[in-house]
Amino acid sequence: MTISTIREILVQAEKKYGAEDAVRYKTGKDSIEAKSYTELKKDSESFSRVLKALGVQGGHVAVTGMTSYPWLVTYFGTVGSGTVCVPLDVSLPMEEMCELVHRSDASVLVVDEIRKDVMLAAKAKCPKLKYVISMQKETQDEEALSFWQLLKEHEGVFSTEPKPEDLATIMFTSGTTGKSKGVMLTHRNLAENATCLDMKFPERTVILSVLPIHHAYCLSMDILKGLSLGSVICINDSLIRMAKNIKLFRPNVILMVPLMIETMAKKLQEAAGLPPEIVKREVFGEQFHTICSGGAYLPPAMLDLFKAYGITILQGYGMTECAPVISTTVSWNIRKGSVGQLIPNCEAKVVEEELWVRGSSVMQGYYQMPKETEETLVDGWLRTGDLGYVDDEGFVYLTGRKKNLIITKNGENVSPEELENRLSESPLVQEVLVRESEGVIEAEFFPDAEYAAKKEITDVKAALQELIDNWNKSAPAYKKIYRLKVRDTEFPKTPSKKIKRY
Amino acid sequence: MFEKLSEIICNYVEVEPGDIHPDSRFMEDLGFTSFDFMSMLGELEDAFDVEIDQQEAAEIRTVQEAVAYLEKLSAE
Repeated sequence: MTISTIREILVQAEKKYGAEDAVRYKTGKDSIEAKSYTELKKDSESFSRVLKALGVQGGHVAVTGMTSYPWLVTYFGTVGSGTVCVPLDVSLPMEEMCELVHRSDASVLVVDEIRKDVMLAAKAKCPKLKYVISMQKETQDEEALSFWQLLKEHEGVFSTEPKPEDLATIMFTSGTTGKSKGVMLTHRNLAENATCLDMKFPERTVILSVLPIHHAYCLSMDILKGLSLGSVICINDSLIRMAKNIKLFRPNVILMVPLMIETMAKKLQEAAGLPPEIVKREVFGEQFHTICSGGAYLPPAMLDLFKAYGITILQGYGMTECAPVISTTVSWNIRKGSVGQLIPNCEAKVVEEELWVRGSSVMQGYYQMPKETEETLVDGWLRTGDLGYVDDEGFVYLTGRKKNLIITKNGENVSPEELENRLSESPLVQEVLVRESEGVIEAEFFPDAEYAAKKEITDVKAALQELIDNWNKSAPAYKKIYRLKVRDTEFPKTPSKKIKRY
Repeated sequence: MFEKLSEIICNYVEVEPGDIHPDSRFMEDLGFTSFDFMSMLGELEDAFDVEIDQQEAAEIRTVQEAVAYLEKLSAE
């Protein structure tokens, strides 16, 4: 059944599954704690009361941290009170994080103390920020308010019902020119994306959530869809311990990006001589049956490889601007080479080979970026920037990309221009091109020989490597450059004198 | 420790133990993806009976740096 607000997803799930576990998370190496649907709803409503008491209800609340119970309470409490939640990537450099807090007009920042640097710097760097709330502090101090203390002080029910067309979330995504864009998503955008398709997962399915929570794919499919199905959402505390956490939580389903699937495939192939059912039991457990894949291209051969172990891979396609799912495969109708069928709330057309989509999940626009919004939304149609087509049965096939973005195997979008602009700041660089090569980001340089001679730089390659090393020190993992190429001639140019990318 | 680490590395990427040197970089030289590396860290926790901090481990670039980090954890 399609549900049109995020608040309603939680309310209906709580009505049906009340005392059952909604969220499980680790409290020690092998110990697990759980929160029920009733507790999640109650704590979320208490957080809504906190926002009302602070006088910020209806404004914007930024949240950053690893996936955790406080993160989820913050999210549901914020959007449930008609306030806009702005999830931010916990791995962003401090300056960039503060810039996004400021640019999103957040008056509250809820922060996991894993980013204590942000917690301490945010108020000074973000003049519109009124309150910083720590997810860990037991009591408030001069650094920040305490999430738990506030929750206790404002415990109680809260019954505002946000409307489907109310803005719920601003999610930042890489812009093609380097400046990230805040995708504005309403309750309807997110809730209908998560609930409009019945994927026939049984009730109480156990999901292990391993992807970063600030990604639309994780938020929509692990959390919103999971809760709407009465699932148990288990929180993977670290990618380092994913294999151990699979054994601990015994999930049925995991949402992954292709990078993870390919690493898992290597593990399965290592044990190729053993009976598949034993390998599956050892790696995933007997109960495991489905991987949902999204975020980037998955080689079709992976479907067969995992099938041999009794595991179904459901490949999907989407983008944050579509909240995010556009198409997905369902277990009873898999077509290799396709990224699944359009979901029921989405229609598509092809304009000059580019896929355009329309429906109740298409964003309202980019926050305070009218020009970029106008370029992307045309009469209600979202220009995906992907080249492809849709067959008569609604199966989507992708053939290439029109937009200038690197989409890494872990589903992160990286603007080559952002990296090129930063690297070009060095006088040693005359021209630079950033691209993806064999799964990693590569920078190819045409150095300024005159400058090198003037400064007596004899080992130009080493100097360029140092430039990259310096960039990598402050860049989030997915923006790090792992390959360097040096050329001794200029790059070929287009008629408008831009470097030819392809 | 270097030998044991080299053996484990070979489970994640297609290299021979002889191709692994102290100054080999995981991503650039050995062909690790970020998730290969994370998964290997999980295995190293068991193999060396240590608890790895994800943020600290993110600073590791070479095999020698990994050996030094593991030695530091083992000594604690």
